[in-house]
Amino acid sequence: MPHVSSLFRVALWLTRDRAEAEDLLQETLMEALSSFHRFAQGTNCRAWLVSILYHMQSKRRRTAARLHLVSDAEERIAETTAFEPPTPQNLTDEEVLGALERLPRTFQEVVILADIEEMSYKEIASTLEVPVGTVMSRISRGRKLLRAELASYANAHGFGRTTQHQISEKEPLREP
Amino acid sequence: MQCREFREIADSYLSNELMVETNHGVITHLEQCAECRQELKARRELRGQLREAFIKSPENQLRPEFAARLSTQLHDYSLGKRGAHLVSPRGWRSSVTRTQATWLALAACLLLAMGMGLVVVRKRLVESKAPGEIAVSKPKPNDSPELNPGIPVSIVKTELAKSAVGDHRDCAIKFRLAEKPIDLEVAGQKYDPVYLNLTKAVLSQQGAAPLDAQFVEAHSCIFEGRRFAHIVLKYHGQVVSFLVTDFEPTNGVQPESGPQVITCSQFDGYKVSCFQTARHAVFIVSELPEGDNLALARALAPSVFAHIMSTENET
Repeated sequence: MPHVSSLFRVALWLTRDRAEAEDLLQETLMEALSSFHRFAQGTNCRAWLVSILYHMQSKRRRTAARLHLVSDAEERIAETTAFEPPTPQNLTDEEVLGALERLPRTFQEVVILADIEEMSYKEIASTLEVPVGTVMSRISRGRKLLRAELASYANAHGFGRTTQHQISEKEPLREP
Repeated sequence: MQCREFREIADSYLSNELMVETNHGVITHLEQCAECRQELKARRELRGQLREAFIKSPENQLRPEFAARLSTQLHDYSLGKRGAHLVSPRGWRSSVTRTQATWLALAACLLLAMGMGLVVVRKRLVESKAPGEIAVSKPKPNDSPELNPGIPVSIVKTELAKSAVGDHRDCAIKFRLAEKPIDLEVAGQKYDPVYLNLTKAVLSQQGAAPLDAQFVEAHSCIFEGRRFAHIVLKYHGQVVSFLVTDFEPTNGVQPESGPQVITCSQFDGYKVSCFQTARHAVFIVSELPEGDNLALARALAPSVFAHIMSTENET
């Protein structure tokens, strides 16, 4: 069954409950089968399925979906990441997943859809029903937050890249 | 291109989301800047590690038994065994089976009640009306308020219909209302007694509607400051909103003994049918064909009209 593993990962992330995720996955695939005539040939089938999955989840959790907004606090946190340390290396899988888990959910969501499930910005925008610019902004902030989280962890534990200079808004590194 | 600029777009470069010209600028910069090459390498590795770790994470794996059952169910479903979808994956989780079974039982009872209601109403119609006349009739050409000035058009002319469409779109379709809806019966006690037992009034009329009109949910929500009783139905595969809100006719037109259901203008492609009582306006909004939307509204209107008028007279 193509795409099922990918859909299940997204469903599990959305629901945070294995049984709920299995229900959601099943409903999504049933819905996809019954409305397959709506699938535009030549487009990304997995992105189409993820869109249905989000729609089904919204139907299941109408209230939660309504409240699915980026809080001002989260936006403010993200805005404070102008300083960007170099991307750390030599991290374990657990450390990377832990850092992802600590991101605000709004940013986790787009990082998962873009960097793990490899959906395009346009596909993510269509799935989340937000403008492409919003997706790009969230992804950019999400990735920065993730790197900052990992860099902070690496510094605290004394590993990671140390030869890189740091970037500040005022001082460009160099201009080749 | 400066290093700072490069680092802003490096992720989009990795995702192949940059325009050709910008891509070229990135490549040119990378050829000259070892530090940015190192940063790009680190980001690529981090992304790869994140992806692999997430995908391989034990908790993100499908259970083989679930995958097998799902495969069977999808196969059955695709062969036309529509009952297959009734078997939830929760079916093999004892703690949830009871909940699922309860809902299925309720749904079965509702369907049974609707079926029996349909039989009764059809029987009554056959006895009382001319042969061939059905409860859910197609609209007549002069149903448009513009063409029929004798019917109460005041609610059509107001912004209410537009608000009803907005509520349908933002609440039932897009799920993006700013304020969380509340239980309809609670709203009935707090704000408007007409909301009490409104769901029952709507569902009690479904015997006259086609069997595939299904109840989805009922609540009270606010769109742009206006409170609605909102009953969501599914009919012919489309989401239908049944909306009731308070309204005082300004032209002094009082409703007659029964509802006069008319078609309002369309807004944003949504079809709106409506009728009014002494102090309330009722809207039926959907993306159904205009005739179907009006027919459904007419099928649901009598018992709702009676319920609202009766409550208005008591208060």
